[in-house]
Amino acid sequence: MTSRLFKVLLLGTTLLATACASTASGSKQSAFVKSSNKSSVNKQKLTAEVPEGGILAVVRYPAVVEENARDKFREAYINSPIGGTIKSQIKDKTQVHNVIDSTIVKSNYFALSLYKELVARLPEHSVLLSPHEVKLGPDGKLTSEPITQAETLPSVVAVDFATYSFPDPAKMMGKNPLTFGDLISPIVTVKTDHRAAVPTHGVLLSSQPLTEAAVGNGYETVQADLAELQSGRFKSTVPELDFISLLANDPTKSTSTQSLSTSTEKNGVQVSPLEKIRMDGKTILALDKTKNQGEIDPLQPVFSEAFANRVIDIINDNADDKAAMAKRASAIASYDPSLAALTFVGSDSPEYQARYNYVSRMLDAERKYLSVQSLRLFDGVHNGEMGAQVRDMLKAEYGILQKRRDLARKQNQATALAIIGAAATAATMGGGSPLALGGGGADGGANDPCGHVRRRPFSSPTQQRTALRQCYATYERRLQDTCRGAVRDGRFRTVQECVNQNHYRNQRGSGRIGTPGIGGGNIFLTGAIYAATQIFAYKDQSAAVGENYLSSIVPALEQQTAIQVSLIDSNETITAIRFDDLKDKLKTIYLEKQRSLDVVASNCAFNGDGSASGTWMGVCDGGSANGSGVGVIKKADGTAIEYFGYATNGIPNGAGYMIVHEPNGSYSLEGNFSAGKAEGIMRVSKAGEVDKLRTYSGGQDVGSASSKSVINSPFNGAGTGA
Amino acid sequence: MFRTSTLAIIISFFGASQVAAQDASPADASAVTETAKEIIVDQATQAVTDMATEKATDAVADAAPVIAEPVVSSTPAFTLQDALASGERARSAEPVQEKCITVMNGFPNNGHESRYQFFKLTKKLADDIDPMMRSAIDFYGDSNVTYQTPVVEVIENIANPVYRQAAPEITVGNMGYLIDFALDCDSYLTGQIDSLEAFDNNLTQADFEVVIGEDALFMKQILSDSLFRLGAQDHDVYGPYVQAYADNLVRARNNVEFASFEAQLANLEAVYMNDLDGRLARSNDVINNEMDREALANALEITNDLNDQSKLQTRQKAMRTLSRILNGGW
Repeated sequence: MTSRLFKVLLLGTTLLATACASTASGSKQSAFVKSSNKSSVNKQKLTAEVPEGGILAVVRYPAVVEENARDKFREAYINSPIGGTIKSQIKDKTQVHNVIDSTIVKSNYFALSLYKELVARLPEHSVLLSPHEVKLGPDGKLTSEPITQAETLPSVVAVDFATYSFPDPAKMMGKNPLTFGDLISPIVTVKTDHRAAVPTHGVLLSSQPLTEAAVGNGYETVQADLAELQSGRFKSTVPELDFISLLANDPTKSTSTQSLSTSTEKNGVQVSPLEKIRMDGKTILALDKTKNQGEIDPLQPVFSEAFANRVIDIINDNADDKAAMAKRASAIASYDPSLAALTFVGSDSPEYQARYNYVSRMLDAERKYLSVQSLRLFDGVHNGEMGAQVRDMLKAEYGILQKRRDLARKQNQATALAIIGAAATAATMGGGSPLALGGGGADGGANDPCGHVRRRPFSSPTQQRTALRQCYATYERRLQDTCRGAVRDGRFRTVQECVNQNHYRNQRGSGRIGTPGIGGGNIFLTGAIYAATQIFAYKDQSAAVGENYLSSIVPALEQQTAIQVSLIDSNETITAIRFDDLKDKLKTIYLEKQRSLDVVASNCAFNGDGSASGTWMGVCDGGSANGSGVGVIKKADGTAIEYFGYATNGIPNGAGYMIVHEPNGSYSLEGNFSAGKAEGIMRVSKAGEVDKLRTYSGGQDVGSASSKSVINSPFNGAGTGA
Repeated sequence: MFRTSTLAIIISFFGASQVAAQDASPADASAVTETAKEIIVDQATQAVTDMATEKATDAVADAAPVIAEPVVSSTPAFTLQDALASGERARSAEPVQEKCITVMNGFPNNGHESRYQFFKLTKKLADDIDPMMRSAIDFYGDSNVTYQTPVVEVIENIANPVYRQAAPEITVGNMGYLIDFALDCDSYLTGQIDSLEAFDNNLTQADFEVVIGEDALFMKQILSDSLFRLGAQDHDVYGPYVQAYADNLVRARNNVEFASFEAQLANLEAVYMNDLDGRLARSNDVINNEMDREALANALEITNDLNDQSKLQTRQKAMRTLSRILNGGW
């Protein structure tokens, strides 16, 4: 018997040890803050220039979920959890849907923190917001599309931002990613045009869970761009959000990666870990304390500032002609199709320069106009009632989390007490059965076995008296039974002696307990049992607090979502009408002012190295490429070639930049081409390697070249003429 | 208010000031016969209309030089040093301060806008004149034009299309007068321009600048055409400079046209941006006011009620469990 009880106690101790609750903790700061060196702790300086007619950064985020895509979005969200696994039975729970829906509201709000930081550091009108609508594509798959026209302009980088919460509310207090109260799990990617980061399909930085989806999304964009060029159009593809690509389970691709802290020039995606960052609670509580509520940004010190610095760092490294040239050509094509293809390489002819200056200035006007839209979008969401509501919600969530943390701490204390009590019981019992009939306990302070009945609410005193009578009768009967057993075991001489010594009325303080072996264990055991019941009580209470909030918040969430949609829709409707009008007027002025070009771009044949036929958009003569432009060939074996530079008789000849897309990856060659083949010193860019200079002959790599060698790049300013 | 051509404004004072000009310098005026005067007045009036509408492009197209009889033919013995020295000698004899004051006082209109236009135009006219071009202008220009020539007469002569065709040296000489004034009196001119801009900030508006720039370009084209008519492009020493000056006019024309485009675009941009900003601000306010401010507060109140209820239930459940255990129910 003793041995059995000892085992039970040990088992109980072990079980109790596992009943410790997590307090929903998070790191004090993002990995971006940790990895930033001293110089970037101060505000990162921009050294790059704003591309002509373009912008430096566009911040993309999921802003709205289309009504008919909502179920699919929720389903995909649950089916592709980040940072844990999901039980399928939670799928239809309202609380789960609310967790998912709230990530959209939070993404909307916190994307503005990043926007604000970038705007503060970069030149005026060089950062735009691009809210996306999550919707169903023509194939019924989940996708996202930009709501505004921000992504029609050439940009050095595009930053995808979203906040994430693991959809199972039961795991809210665990280690899973969460955006709730003072906790935030941002997931980001930073991309550029694939021509500027060939080996990674344009992906420069990514949160770990998104990396392969982002590269896969980049690859899909490359394919779409190539198809457009092959068809003789400059329409630049706007990719869906990488987060949506992940949820939609789109094809992924792997590539070379490197950690955030690694300072290397290797061609690879910088990968940041999946984070759960804890913002300062005092800041959250102070969100509504200042006159201008939006002044306080709890995300700034722990994430946004350092991440913005990292983005500027990336811009400094990538702001060259290649990053913006394709989208610029696409934008220019809407005003002047005969000029667009010439802008890849440029020309020093006065007519070209004049036209280019005019059209660049018009793109500048577009940029400034759309920048007003972004600034007002920020203003409407962040500084208006909408922002105030989100801030109130953050505060409320923080309160909920704090309550649950408090309960978790109590649960942990109870667990500790239970463990100690169980261990002490085991240590002091030495044998005998527990006369575990006493009442009271730690919170009651008395040994009354029917104290719990006294505290229970009853509809009438009579009912309570009846219940108490029954309770005491039961107690007396059980005590008698137990004592009879104790007498049989020889621990007491008479039943009366046993009853006298163990009756609750005779136990005060440490208790006048009969046999030490029984009495000491009784106290400890009683305490342990009480503590154990409290563990589950606190646990249940904590879960209830979370669920109650998530159930009640539905109308507020719906309200915020509706206002969010109205703000964005109205913003875009007003902007779009005037934007089209502005573009028409710009076009009219442009056409009034322009003289004819001596050399114009058109479409003709491009033969690459002569083995396949493709499309050339640029200077043509005799039906084939003869001058500057861009050529594309998609071969039957799935490989493709993009070429930017000079060609003669349909074949690359002169300064050029060739991108080769193969099933196992893409690489680029920049330098001189002769009869379609790389010839001379070339800059070679491949995944996992630092860009290097190599010597080529007849298209073959024949050895290294001095790092001081000068390559014949088509992007070294104006060329020798179109 | 600033859309009118600078030359048109300046020459609009021509009729009123002609008599005064004649009074001021009867000797110069006597050189022109009454008939010629009538022709000049008619032609100048016509020129005002022409210049106001004539595009810079047309002027360049007109550049197919009708070579008039050169006043001075080049000689092989003429060297670069000679070229530079000839103009310098003539100018060094002129008292600069007196010249500057005379010219500035001689401008026939005291209106601050007209004076500003004149000073800016003169400055722009001279902004790409290097010493060799200046010597070439001195060399080919009518030597009768000195700093003492009344400004109004200079303007008349420049505006006179008959001179431009039949006596280009008069046009060149009068252009030289303005260029000399701009270069020699640069500090006076700059001071006047700065003062006037400080006096009336509207003068710095981009579209006004464009109008002045277009007029300056037009005058440069007249100068270039006149030099070509005089055969200056074939001169051993001056030829390349005159040719380069003509070539640069194409670039200058592009710049002026772009400045005009830029000004037009800037206006459009400002109108659209301000309009959009206002509309979006109003829309934001309306939509934000639609927000049900009670929704969140109500939700939180319900949450608190539910939490209180849950707390009670949990406690009761715990007590029941404890009771069961202590009563031997386990």
